[in-house]
Amino acid sequence: MKPGLVYLTGGSLISLLLGIIVTIILPARDPAALGPTALARPYTELELRGRAVYKREGCHYCHTQQVRAPEANRAMVHQAGDIGPESVPGDYYYQSPVFWGTSRQGPDLTHVASREGIGKNEGWHALHFKNPRAVSPGSVMPSFDYLSPGDLEALIAYMLTLE
Amino acid sequence: MLSTESGSASRRFFYSALFWLLLPGLMGLTLATLLYVPAVYDRLPLDLKPYLSFGRLRPAHVNLMIYGWLSQAYAAAILFILPRITRAQLFSERLAHANWWLWNLMLVGAAVTLPAGLTQGREYAELIWPLDLLLIANWVLLAINIWGTFARRQEPKVYISLWSFMAATLVFVGVYAVGNKIWDPSGAYRGMNDSIVNYFFVHNLFNAWFTTAGLGLALYLLPKLVDQPLYSHRLGLWGLWSVWTGQHHQLNSPAPDWLEYLTVVFSILAAVPTIAFMVNFFMTMRGRWQRALDDVALRFLATGALFWALTCVQGLAQSFRTFSMQVHLTNWVIGHSHLAFVVDYSFWAFAAAYLMVPVLVRRPLYSRTLAEWHYWLTTVGMGIFMVSLWIAGLIQGQNWQTNSVPFLETVRSMSPYFALRLVGGLMAAGGVLCFAYNLWQTARRQASFVAVAPTPAAALTRGGGR
Repeated sequence: MKPGLVYLTGGSLISLLLGIIVTIILPARDPAALGPTALARPYTELELRGRAVYKREGCHYCHTQQVRAPEANRAMVHQAGDIGPESVPGDYYYQSPVFWGTSRQGPDLTHVASREGIGKNEGWHALHFKNPRAVSPGSVMPSFDYLSPGDLEALIAYMLTLE
Repeated sequence: MLSTESGSASRRFFYSALFWLLLPGLMGLTLATLLYVPAVYDRLPLDLKPYLSFGRLRPAHVNLMIYGWLSQAYAAAILFILPRITRAQLFSERLAHANWWLWNLMLVGAAVTLPAGLTQGREYAELIWPLDLLLIANWVLLAINIWGTFARRQEPKVYISLWSFMAATLVFVGVYAVGNKIWDPSGAYRGMNDSIVNYFFVHNLFNAWFTTAGLGLALYLLPKLVDQPLYSHRLGLWGLWSVWTGQHHQLNSPAPDWLEYLTVVFSILAAVPTIAFMVNFFMTMRGRWQRALDDVALRFLATGALFWALTCVQGLAQSFRTFSMQVHLTNWVIGHSHLAFVVDYSFWAFAAAYLMVPVLVRRPLYSRTLAEWHYWLTTVGMGIFMVSLWIAGLIQGQNWQTNSVPFLETVRSMSPYFALRLVGGLMAAGGVLCFAYNLWQTARRQASFVAVAPTPAAALTRGGGR
């Protein structure tokens, strides 16, 4: 083989391999990710179905599930600081896929079930899913009135796990 | 179905790329409308609602633009360039046609499954498992044609673009397989690692595929359109990438701090290939800027290159944790991704189409006026689109940081910017319609001129390319 081809193929593959080792394999072995925290918990069948609905409807394109250190307990959703405590790797221990998200067209949902006024109020969630603007005037969320009663129940059950 | 006519597969790829530009473009306009006037959605019939729900339409828009429009336009251009820089026949025209059929089968699958809610739920990696496998097969088939044509080349000098295409396809297959956990039908890893791998993939989809192959495309188009050899072929080879920077998409996230610091360092190092490309670009353009005013194809290429520099400057700024805290998760990021995707890579693809489609159909371009409309509507429209989102993002970020405004208030304040974005998007769409109509008319009119002669690599480099 010509040297150019060897450099190209070798360089590409080594670069890819090193990238995988350093940015994927090493972090997976980071001690912080090896065990669940108190917030992490195995899901019930209903909650898993709720997660599947969350994934299917693409909720994670507009809602994050990660509270970053500089904003933890400071940023405001309804009241100052109610975004909640900082997220740590162990919180996601039982999740696949995770819904960290990259955009907040809507508020962060990591601790939505612990927020005052919403919390564990299933009625609030049901009303909000069916007609978001009735509860939050000015919201840009689509109305999820097309969900089957079973899907809606499961989705709300999943919402309540976000403590 | 599987023609052996030289150039026929490239031509087909251009046609289908055009289709996959229009469909997800329409989806994009729908999304922009839904954000500005969400009440429109409330009035839709209940049967239609699931398929037009924002969370389903957004991945459909993104995936079809990425794997449909831009990747197919790249494939078309690569198949056009290969025989010309190697002075050999394409390895297999039939294989390229088979590739085209499989590729469009995959895209039809994506266009059906994503609005139906069948997704793996990971950004840019949404395609379900069977489509993942098809996608890998498509890139492997393309790679076979690239590497196969390389093997039978008649031209002793290997031009930089050929190296870029070879590296891009090789690495992207690996990146896609790992990023999508191809050996597992669920396609997702568990816990924190899932997100880390997801953004390893997202970043390297751009690094390994769109940037590496895109620079190959730009470095072919540049000397060809300015009619002057590339300033430095050696400098061009600096344009290789780094695969270590994916985590800068998740700064301040729950991922380990050491990983974030590492990606900051490598993001700074990534300035080297950027500067190398820009030096090469400006030195090759030296004394030829008038041509960019006269020739729409070169103007698209040059505008794309200048915006690419801006993308890299923004990317570098976003790689610092402080600036990331200000703009990440806001609408700024949406502006940034459209900067990279539309005004850089897509502009290079437009330049390629204006140069190559007339050659492939053996007819002159139907209308220069329409091409001018395409350029100005798209450039000004995307300018309005991006600037409004950047301002919106800075305002959002500032409001979040002060911790004194209820979140809903910050959502309401987005409305004027969403309106401007919609206006910009409509203008860009108008430009794209001019582009599509122009190419369609070019292809269907009577043959009236003979194709220009192919350019061997030697003519693209100094001193006969030795």
